[in-house]
Amino acid sequence: MMKPLMALAATTALITPAFADAPATGAVLDTYADLAEAGYGDALSTAEGLQAAVAALIAAPSEETLSAAKAAWVAARVPYQQTEAFRFGNPIVDDWEGKVNAWPLDEGLIDYVDMDSAAVNEENELALLNIIANPKVTIGGTEVDATEITPALLGETLHEAEGIEANVATGYHAIEFLLWGQDLNGTDAGAGARPYTDFVQGEGCTHDNCDRRAAYLQAATDLLVTDLQEMVANWAEGGAARTAIEADPKAGVSAILTGMGSLSYGELAGERIKLGLMLHDPEEEHDCFSDMTHLSHYYDGVGIRNVYTGSYTRVDGTVVSGPSISDLVKAADPAVDAQLRSELDVSVGALGEMKAAAEGGMAFDQMLAMGNEEGAAIITKAVDALVTQTRSIERAVAALGGEIEVEGSDSLDNPNAVFQ
Amino acid sequence: MRLLPLAALFLAAQSVLAPAQADVPEAISKEILPGYAGFTAAAQALSDAAQADCSSAALQAPWNATFDAWLGVAHLRLGPIEDKGRALAIAFWPDPKAIGARQTESMLKAADPALVTADGMAQVSVAARGLFGLERLLYGAEATDTGAYACDLRRALAADLARMAQETEAEWHGGYADLLLTAGAEGNTRFLTRAEARQALFTQLISGLEFNADQRLGRPLGSFDKPRPERAEALASGRSLRDVALSLKALEGFARALAQGLGEIPLTEAAFARAHDVAAKLDDPVFAGVAEPGTRLKVEILQQSVRAAHDAALSEIGALLGVDAGFNSADGD
Repeated sequence: MMKPLMALAATTALITPAFADAPATGAVLDTYADLAEAGYGDALSTAEGLQAAVAALIAAPSEETLSAAKAAWVAARVPYQQTEAFRFGNPIVDDWEGKVNAWPLDEGLIDYVDMDSAAVNEENELALLNIIANPKVTIGGTEVDATEITPALLGETLHEAEGIEANVATGYHAIEFLLWGQDLNGTDAGAGARPYTDFVQGEGCTHDNCDRRAAYLQAATDLLVTDLQEMVANWAEGGAARTAIEADPKAGVSAILTGMGSLSYGELAGERIKLGLMLHDPEEEHDCFSDMTHLSHYYDGVGIRNVYTGSYTRVDGTVVSGPSISDLVKAADPAVDAQLRSELDVSVGALGEMKAAAEGGMAFDQMLAMGNEEGAAIITKAVDALVTQTRSIERAVAALGGEIEVEGSDSLDNPNAVFQ
Repeated sequence: MRLLPLAALFLAAQSVLAPAQADVPEAISKEILPGYAGFTAAAQALSDAAQADCSSAALQAPWNATFDAWLGVAHLRLGPIEDKGRALAIAFWPDPKAIGARQTESMLKAADPALVTADGMAQVSVAARGLFGLERLLYGAEATDTGAYACDLRRALAADLARMAQETEAEWHGGYADLLLTAGAEGNTRFLTRAEARQALFTQLISGLEFNADQRLGRPLGSFDKPRPERAEALASGRSLRDVALSLKALEGFARALAQGLGEIPLTEAAFARAHDVAAKLDDPVFAGVAEPGTRLKVEILQQSVRAAHDAALSEIGALLGVDAGFNSADGD
């Protein structure tokens, strides 16, 4: 959930940069919204590519069409992960995000699982519901007709059923599970290995219910596309998210830094990276079926830097850029800006090393293994870099808060206040 | 940069009757260091008790004393406690996927002697260690396990806890307190200004209150339609409410220390007093009442009173310190 920030929101009443060389706040917010629009636009176009590849897989299941669908999923993750920096500061994004990128999930809700695996969850009565095998189910005491597997069934009935967040029926990770299957290799090498025959209709179908499995995969992919369409529209000219940012420049600047800090620290460094290492638990990886977690982490890091520097390189190679929050911070305190810029490069570098190690054969879940000191060192370096940059993000908040014209602030009206 | 603050610390630690200082030094000398000293002593006593007698009956009392002491400092999520995953290893909760239970079970099954050594235990998943790892072996189904491995595991877990407590306290004395006290001094790259040190401690106060409201109370409350009494903290040992009460007591002391020398905090004090009062009158040690509308309301009122203390501290103490809460580890999902 989003935590409202912090210095800007609490102590400033009006934003008027006091520096001749600072860009207008409005121009910075325009860039931010432009980056979001382009990022979600790329997420949408690559999700449409995934939709086509899934249709091809279902029409003619084979090793080739399954591989092509997996490749399309990986390609779709690259732009999407870069948009995660827009999450925590923007309620419109935060309220929606769970539909497309929720994790971890109790995958037994969706399809068959290995009963000896961690898919069993005593806190979740629906953890082994297996909707693909069961056209009639009971959820929260109510009988549900799941004969037709539709986007509405997934999005409105199954997703977060009984208020449990692990009941993830939609989004990238549900699709990932259907393409890869469970990764039963623990912290050893290897991702999920679902056979393409799980989608073969009629004779040759493995693990039963191939028609319902195909219908689920298609419905989940279609829903992802429509959900992303909604978010692209939110950031277009006149869209709700863009309008919200532009309507309240103070809150807009706060949203940018809140998103950067919350993703850097609590979410990425803590929940998604360090916790897994401390638990030595392979389930604690963001993309646990595909073993593509390194990509998610790396592009999260890139996305944070994009937002700060006001520059995003699109899937087609073109660059969207403009006046940035970095320019505002630089005008207020050049040292903080220089330090934060260099720390963002360090974290992207450290996450890049994690990506390179994974591509070289040590997947993120292997890095988590007890006794893997090399893996632990790679992870720790990335965590440290993210924690370090969070401190500078706090300094950027303070720099802007201190230099921005303030009306009626208790903290500054108080003679004892020490505000840098 | 080292000599002066160490001397200052020494003076401050001499007696609780030492004259009051201001905000950060006050919080360190009156709350943080004594809090960690108490935790170290309690954890060491638990470990000593385990070496003498590893039965659950013998260890429940020192385990509870250690948990009580931990609550005096559990809200501090900065500095040495964040190194080597100590905070998670000391108290891994919440654990919605029951990772700890699974790991404890598999450790008992595998009975690997290499893991019940000091070096081995430091490598074990945080979910299986610490106060909650021990709780499962003292109160759960495994409490009656009198096997040799369960005994070794209790001893190793207790020793591991004592080691982490001792290391944390030593590192506060051996450098981290200095870093906070010399905020803004040349060469201090961690805290560039006094405001940064104040913000770092203030963030612990605010996120500590949030943790009580959102997790310790919020998890069992669930929703009106789907209350979750089974999700209360330390359910097996029956100390869910006690944890909230002791945490609030520690947070109130911490709040007063942070405001020391800067001004009065009447709203915050009133809000804490009300929260203490509500907690004291709540006759529901594990929040079992959340499932019934009448008794549920009482737990909801406690949650509201904790939120009121949070809001009061955020505005009142934030204004005195001239800072706002920074990012904390609960930001995110």
